Amino acid sequence: MKRKPSRGLIALSTTALALPGISSADAPPTENTLSYKISNYKEDDLSREQVPFGELGRYDIDVHQFQYVAPVGRNFSVSVDANYENMSGASPWFSTANADGEPVINMSGASGIRDRRSELSIGARYYMENGNFGGYVGYSEEDDYRSSYIGVSGEIGFNNDLTRFSYGFSHAADDIFPTDAELFNRVRNEDKQSTSAAVGLSQVINQFSVFQTAFSVTEQSGFLTDPYKLQDSRPDNKTQLVLSNSYRHFFVGPDAALHADYRLYHDDFGITSHTVDLAWYQNLGRDYQIVPNLRYYTQSAADFYTNIDDFLKPLSEHQSSDYRLSAFGAISGGIHFIADLGDWTATLTAERYIANDKYSGFEVTQPSPALVRFVRVSIGIDYSF
Amino acid sequence: MISKRILVLILCTGIFITGCTQVRPWERGYLAREEMLWDADALERQLNDHIFFSKEASSGGSSAAGGGCGCN
Repeated sequence: MKRKPSRGLIALSTTALALPGISSADAPPTENTLSYKISNYKEDDLSREQVPFGELGRYDIDVHQFQYVAPVGRNFSVSVDANYENMSGASPWFSTANADGEPVINMSGASGIRDRRSELSIGARYYMENGNFGGYVGYSEEDDYRSSYIGVSGEIGFNNDLTRFSYGFSHAADDIFPTDAELFNRVRNEDKQSTSAAVGLSQVINQFSVFQTAFSVTEQSGFLTDPYKLQDSRPDNKTQLVLSNSYRHFFVGPDAALHADYRLYHDDFGITSHTVDLAWYQNLGRDYQIVPNLRYYTQSAADFYTNIDDFLKPLSEHQSSDYRLSAFGAISGGIHFIADLGDWTATLTAERYIANDKYSGFEVTQPSPALVRFVRVSIGIDYSF
Repeated sequence: MISKRILVLILCTGIFITGCTQVRPWERGYLAREEMLWDADALERQLNDHIFFSKEASSGGSSAAGGGCGCN
């Protein structure tokens, strides 16, 4: 893969010799970059065994992503992100037992769901001799959901810039106003708050490898229930703890880089999860790159998860048949082709994701019949000027 | 007890950091390669975070950030 001169120049000439292996360099980008990516995300249909009546089709979503990053003077950069999603399909509404006592799914509305999501965020970053500091504000809107968010983050390098300390803080305020609330006796207007704090440490191990570890805490409060499920009641507070570790190693012989990431997650809904992500960035000559990646994910079930809704249970007692709260495992793999065409870079991505309770690394006492499988295809273009 | 654990953690971190090779600035060429970035493709990372946030119970731990969504 051809190296852009600006990247090499930054690496070899800045006094701090900022390490791109450590999230943000200590110098602003040297050129403007305009990026666009279009993706199609499609979930597999469920079977008639899983859904005895009604719709079998699930979500089909088109996603458009735009990003503009620009240097401002010698020490600043600004970025603008805009996203637009157009979605249609159906999602599980409630779960009952069939004649054999096995859980089966009833999907939302015969005509399915149609929704759009628009998002805009703006960020700025200031670069110092041995660190950087920045922030962003953003807003997203759907037909039934609104989110406003803000965040700040920074990095400080020390130990000859071989070690870097990073920190971040963010807050989101969300409003939920479900469609057809009167018709289906749903809540009319609820809200939710999320606040996160994170710290991280990055270390250069040798001239070929770097390691990063980070810890974050997120507090959520407010309406955490899914308003579109018929029998869903969740606690109105949740604490999420995440420990993430990343390793990058460059192999000179094959001219390739290994990305290895592991995340440990735990929350007080009772869910623990492990995520392992591996990717191999193989350069093919100066202009092309191929990146196969493999991801394994597994989670335990929430304390109040049930795979058959109990309609006799009052909503004051927590319960949910949301498949995302069940114990399961998921394997996904993808491949990316990247072509460097001078000022232009083109990317083609294909990904397959399969969730199954048989892949779970945790005990599965109540398997969900609604686990998702999807295919995602993306085409992206970057233009630097 | 907690303070002892923190002390051990700080000592281990210090040993780890000082045990690493002193890589000189002119030896950092491979680390400066684009494919060594934590996030080699920002839009790809944002999209993946959004999809996995919508389909799994876990979220967070990524440098990308954003607001919530009503995703089902």
